[in-house]
Parts: sequence; C-alpha cells; structure tokens
Amino acid sequence: MLTEVLVALLVGGLLYFLVQRSRTQVLRTEDGWWGAGAPPDGGEDITIRPFTVSTSAEELEDLYRRIDQTRPVPSLEDSHFTYGFNSQCLHTVLSYWRNGFDWRRQVDRLNQYPHFKTTIEGIDIHYLHVKPKTVPEGSTALPLIMVHGWPGSFYEFYGLIPLLTEPSDPSHLVFEVVCPSIPGYGFSEAPHKKGFDSVCAAHIFHKLMKRLGFQQFYAHGGDWGWLVTTNMAQLEPRSVRGLHVNFAPPSNPGLPITLSIMLGRRFPKLFGFTDLDIERLFPCMEKLVVESIKESGYMHIQATKPDTVGRGLNDSPAGLAAYILEKFSTWTSRDFRDLEDGGLTRKFSLDDLLTNVMIYWTSGCIVSSMRFYKENFGKGLYAPHSKIPVDVPTGFACFPNELMHTPKLWLKQKYRNLVAFTPMARGGHFAAMEEPQLMAEDIQNFTKIVEKKAL
Amino acid sequence: MQRLQVFKGTFYSLDAVQRQLLIGSAVAAGGILLAYIVHKRRQVKSIPLGEGWWGAGEKPLSEDDTIYPFKVQTSDKEIKDIHERIDRTRYTDPLEDSCFQYGFNSTYLKKVVSYWRNEFDWKKQVAVLNKFQHFKTKIEGLDVHFIHVRPPHRENQKVLPLMLVHGWPGSFYEFYKILPLLTENHDGVVFEVICPSIPGYGFSEAPHKQGFDSLAAARIFLTLMERLGFSKFYLQGGDWGSLITTNMAQMKPQCVKGLHLNMFISTKGFKVMFSLMIGPYLPFLVGFSREDVRRLFPFFEKNVWDILRETGYMHIQATKPDTAGCGVNDSPVGLAAYLLEKFSSWTDLRNRDLVDGGLERKFSLDDLLTNVMIYWTTGSIVSSMRFYKENFKSNPDNRVDAKTGIFVPTGLAAFPGELMHCPKTWAQIRYRNIYSYTFMPRGGHFAAFEEPQLLANDIVQFVKKVEEF
Repeated sequence: MLTEVLVALLVGGLLYFLVQRSRTQVLRTEDGWWGAGAPPDGGEDITIRPFTVSTSAEELEDLYRRIDQTRPVPSLEDSHFTYGFNSQCLHTVLSYWRNGFDWRRQVDRLNQYPHFKTTIEGIDIHYLHVKPKTVPEGSTALPLIMVHGWPGSFYEFYGLIPLLTEPSDPSHLVFEVVCPSIPGYGFSEAPHKKGFDSVCAAHIFHKLMKRLGFQQFYAHGGDWGWLVTTNMAQLEPRSVRGLHVNFAPPSNPGLPITLSIMLGRRFPKLFGFTDLDIERLFPCMEKLVVESIKESGYMHIQATKPDTVGRGLNDSPAGLAAYILEKFSTWTSRDFRDLEDGGLTRKFSLDDLLTNVMIYWTSGCIVSSMRFYKENFGKGLYAPHSKIPVDVPTGFACFPNELMHTPKLWLKQKYRNLVAFTPMARGGHFAAMEEPQLMAEDIQNFTKIVEKKAL
Repeated sequence: MQRLQVFKGTFYSLDAVQRQLLIGSAVAAGGILLAYIVHKRRQVKSIPLGEGWWGAGEKPLSEDDTIYPFKVQTSDKEIKDIHERIDRTRYTDPLEDSCFQYGFNSTYLKKVVSYWRNEFDWKKQVAVLNKFQHFKTKIEGLDVHFIHVRPPHRENQKVLPLMLVHGWPGSFYEFYKILPLLTENHDGVVFEVICPSIPGYGFSEAPHKQGFDSLAAARIFLTLMERLGFSKFYLQGGDWGSLITTNMAQMKPQCVKGLHLNMFISTKGFKVMFSLMIGPYLPFLVGFSREDVRRLFPFFEKNVWDILRETGYMHIQATKPDTAGCGVNDSPVGLAAYLLEKFSSWTDLRNRDLVDGGLERKFSLDDLLTNVMIYWTTGSIVSSMRFYKENFKSNPDNRVDAKTGIFVPTGLAAFPGELMHCPKTWAQIRYRNIYSYTFMPRGGHFAAFEEPQLLANDIVQFVKKVEEF
C-alpha cells in the first residue's frame, strides 16, 4: 500500500514539475510615463508626424570651433590602442572631420529613408519606416523591426535596409522595415524619469508597431537591441513571429552552462562544442574573465555614474569621437588594439563612422544613452526577464569576432525554439554595419524557415 | 627499518659521555635552526630599487640634477579660454529625483559652474598657490615638481623632514591647510615638509614611456629626498600616496624613520576571510574591536556593493585611460564633474542621496576649483589616469611589493568615511611594526583636505612615539 502511495506521489511530482517547465511563461509589465512632470489629463497625442534630419551653419560652426580647440595629449610611445584611443589616430580622424567630412551630404543620405516621430508614454519616439517599392505578386511584405545598441544608432542598418526591402534575388522575401531609436538615443526623446530599462523600451516598441498597424512582425537586434527585442518576444510572444539576433550573452548561468565551462574542453562533443567554440571560450580564465575585465570599464562606469562620465563628452567632439570610435575598433576585432590606427578604416569608412558620432553629437544624447546601462544593471543582474525563457522561433547569427561568444548549448538554455544557428564567415560586434550582405542572407534564411514552419 | 636498527645499535654502543655530547649537539643544532628562523622572520626585508628612464626618445649620457625654483603662473589668455569653454557647455537635464545617484547632478553643477565663471578668481588662487616655495628638478628624465616648506622658527627644536604624497584626483594642494599645522612647534617637534607632485600629475612632467608605476614613483621620490640632502625622514600618504610611500619604506627602510598613512588596505588571505566569517558574531576572537565591527558590517552591503558602485572610474582608467581622459581635457565642466564627484562620494557615501552632493559641507568651492584648475591648466588628466593602468597591468597581488612586509615604524589613521575600513589585525599582516592605530572620529578619504587638524594631531602623536618623547 505504502509503495503505491509513494510511487503515485513521485509520478505526480514529476508530472507537475514537467508541466511547470513547459508552461509558457510571459513577462509582465505596466504602462509607464516618461515625460517631464505629471501625465496630462486628456489622452495622449497619437499622431504620427513626419520628421526630417536637418542641420544649420551654426551647428557646423560650433562643431568646427570645438574641434579646433581640442587639447590633444600624446599617447605613450608604442602603446597603439592598448591604452584606449591613440592620439595619432585621433588627429587623423579630427583632421578629416574638420576638413573632409561633409555633414550636409550625410544629412541628405540620412533623409533618403522616411523618418517619423510619434509620442508614446510621454516621449517622442523617432523611427524610420521603409516600405518596399515593389512586392512580388501574391505576397505581402513581412514587417520587421530592427533595434540598434550602444554606441550605435539606426544608422548602422543603412547598408542592410535596401538588401531587405529591395532584394536583388527574386526568390528572396521582401520586408517592410521599421528602425526605431531607443529612447535616450539619437532623435528619440530621453526619458525624464528614473527606471527606463529594456523592458520599458520593448513595451513602447510594441505600442509603436501596433500604432503602425502591425499585429505580427519579425524582430532583429544586436547589442541592446538584442535585449529589447528579446523582451518584446517575452512580453507578447504572439506578436513576434520570429526573433533574429547576433549577440546573446547568457543571463542566467545554470547547471548546463557551468558544466560545459568545467568539462567543455575535455569533452567538447558532449556539449556540442565546435572548434570555434573551443577557441573562443578556453582557457576560460583568460578568454572569458580577463578579456571581459579588460573591455568592460566603460560598462562599469556607465552603469554607476552615467551623468559624470557623459558630461565632458557632450562638450568635446574629440572626446566623444574617441570614446565611441574606440569601440568600433576594438569590438570589430580585438587584434586591432595592437595597431597604430586601430584598424578603424579596415571595415568601415570614416564617413559612416563619423555620421554615427554626429548623431550622438547633434542630439546631445550621450548622457541619456549611458543611463540605459544603469537602468538595466542597477537592480543587479537578476531582473525578472533574465529568468523567463523565449519560445518564439529564434535565429542566431554567430559572428566570429563578436564580443561575447555564445555556443549553441548556451543559447538553447534561454531560446527554447532555436530554429537557426549560423556560424558566420567573418564579422564582429557591429555586424549589420560591417557585413550587411551576410546579415541579410541570414535574416532571409531564418525567415524562410519560420514561414515554412508556419504553413 | 634496517637503518634505524643500525642507528640504535651505534647509539647504544657509545658510552655515557659520548651519548651526552651527541644529544647536546643535536639540541644545540635545533636551537640554532630555530633562532635562525625567528631571526629571518623579524629581519627587515626590502624590495629592489630597480631603475628607469621616462623622458621622450633616447636617454642622454648625463642628466642635469640642478634644482630650479618654479612659480605657478597664469595669463589672461588662459582664463579667457576657460571662460569661453564654460560658456559653451551643453548641459543634460538630470532625471527627476536622482540627486547624485547617477553621478554629478547637472542642476547643482550649473551652480558650481556659475560660481566658477563669475566669482572664482584664479589669479588670486595662483597667488595662494605661490605662498609656498615651488621647485622643479630632473629625475629619470622627468621634471619633478615639489613644494618645500621650512618651519619659520628652527632654534632649539628638532626639525624632522617629512614628505607628504597626494593621490587621485587630488594634488599637492590638498596639503595647504595641514602645512601650517605641521610647520609649527609641537613641544619641540616641528617638520620641514616636502610635497611632490606624482609624475603625470599637476606640474610634474608626465612619463613618455609605458610602465611608470608606484615603484617607479617611489624610487624617484627617494632620489628627490637624497638630492635635497635628507638621509632619514618621515613619510605620509593617502590614496596613491599611501602606496607610493609604502613602496618607499620597502625600498629603503633604513632611510624611513616612520610611515604614516590615512588609507591602507589589506591583502586577501585566509586570516581576512576567517575574520569576516566569525567577526560579526565573535569579534574579540578575531581581534576586532566594537568600532571595527561597526565600520565593517554588513560586509557585503557596505563593502562589496558600494565598492562596485564606486569603482567604475577605476575600471575604465585602469583599462582605457586615453579614451576616458580625452573628453574631459577639452571640457572644463566635464573635468569638474568628474573630479568633484569623488570629493562628494568619498567624503561620505550618503552624499549620493543629496541634491547638492554635500560638496560644500566640508570644502569651499574655492579650494575644490583650485584643485580642478591644477588638472585643467596642466592638461594632466589623461596622464593621471594612466597611473591606474600602469599599476593594475599585472595582477597587483603578484607584484614584489605585495609579497613583502613593511618593517619601519608605522602609524595608521582610520577615518570613518574612508572607502574601505581596514582593522588593525588585517593591517598587521603586512605592516609589521605598527606604533599607533587610531580610530578617527570623523572624516573621509581626503583627510588632509577635510580634517587637517585631526590628521596633524595624529601625525604628531605618532612621530612623538617614534622619537620617544
């Protein structure tokens, strides 16, 4: 009799445990208010207003005057980029910025796609909305939201957008693209209240997509964009048809991840580790811990004192350029630290790099962009969303020089519906800007897989 | 086994006298060995002096070792430039109700800057700086700046040479309030004070080569004292000054009569971990006093989280100093926010919850801005930050100075607002000859600047103990 009861309990317990695990967990959030002061009594203005990026002679004159007044400090002999942005390289960049860079032409380039602004939860949200010119017979364009990170902007996607809205290959799917700016970045208004984290941004972007008439859409993101789009998939899984990311550091190291770190080198097959995985992850102490410490100083200070560190950068174009472009050097390839010029122009043109910097400069958003770090890390690393898995179909583009390498096993701990995992041939952290062709191909492949499954 | 049998056999075959001799010499040998071990432990160890050259390009055959007088100067052009830059500041509104939690609050910053722009008189402050005598001399290829303050009345007194070393983001100016207190007579004890600027800070030339760490600075300062004719002297320091003076005492213990520190950290180790676990419950068992317990626990919250919250600057400066310093070298307001945030938080961590950061409670704006101006006019913020990278390049726990103790007479002043409290039992792991350990009643990290009288009193009482007054 007793054994029967015990077995029943055991089976019951096991079933309960399994059911719990498989039940889709949903992230919850509330409406926020991020405008200055208290929310107004009447409803919110939900109109969509077209927006044009503009500049003026005063703006340029002020910039040039400040560049002329840079007080440069020579780098130590033979230090290249190991102490940060090299002074010789900075001199080259500033010289081009002052004399060769044509901001007005770049503004025209920015305006080649239609920009809009709309007020959500008290702040103006800026975004691009690019509709394809032609759609093949009998199909519709797939809506896709692409979210940038730091120190990037919507501009990172400019090489990628035409490959998605006007693919040359007739068998490719056609997308209708929405690229918002995270509040506090670029032309989106910065929140006035404390507490604006990635979940709040995700919530606002859901409202944006709804306001634009999209009930279901695809999402793509890297850097902060990865977290914001992941949160979108966690908040409203039914709206997100597919999630494509190129950066996904593990947020909750559980048993499988820990075991794989301890035993992965000895038994790679057990954890599904490829040669690239072994190369990027081991020796663990050096590749994971020491490298992270070497490169996360910015994260540490931005997650604790954003107002202090951003203050000088908003007055000094040279300082802002050095701070931002250092990342475009080191995060594209770590080997660039040993180059005198930081390898800056190997993968990017100075025009593109400076356009991105100008977006931060002209909008004066560096401080608010840094605050996002404090808001997200302020509560410690264990926010509710880090414990909730993602069940929407997910595709991961694994670029070899990404800041943090994520093997398939680690991804699957969180993204339980991983339908595509592509090791990419080349590329670093700013993959969309560096390798738009490769990224477009992978988004195509991923979307095709999801569309086929949906049929 | 067989050997033992042979041994036993030989032993028992000896006669009584021979046996006694054997036992006697064995005991004597053991005694000598024991004495040797004890002696070795007590013996003053030192670290190697090393050598270096930090000037631009190649080292010349000979170096000029003259000491030149130096005067701080300014010009209308310099002041006009800073005013123009201040006027062009592009502020960002702070988040509502954020006080100093996100860093230096912009609303309060505007007030500080308004004072700086309209009322702060740099020419007057330069005259204040020049009231002590400044000098420069070339050591290891760099111009080293220092002030030399002689006591006004030297008759019938013991004049003791003393070097005070500053830290970051401070300067020699932090000592201006304590200098008059140290150069006056204290029952026959009076000091002749040298305050250098660490190379890369203020008016001392910045190193041109990589690798300039606290050991290099210590060696340069020892050379300076030697060049000034001092063979035995006292040292005092906080922040980087604490590490540099400690290194000086490790390099030439025979020259250092006494070492006084207002900031000191312990090494990690079993003793520390053990006392952390037992300390809150049985403090006396691990050598903690009630005051130690009050300042240390709850450990995680008080020490780990707060340290994480306050060390972002250290992390970025120890990895990317050239990037971090670039912007603040062009923006006076950016520089002020960056430096003054420390004078707020490190004086009392509760200042983070105040709208004005509690900045003017302990310091005057004139004094704070004079310190900022020293960084601004010399453009030394980047080189000052590099010092962090040079010292943290390799694991600091593995460096020769971390593994060697300090044997000169040491005096420790534990200020309650200091970033991390270090009880006497932990300090004793490295500082083997502690003459005095004082729980100071109030004050934070910038002790000399904030509580000059308290610090001066503690230095004097420590020195008196060493001099056996």
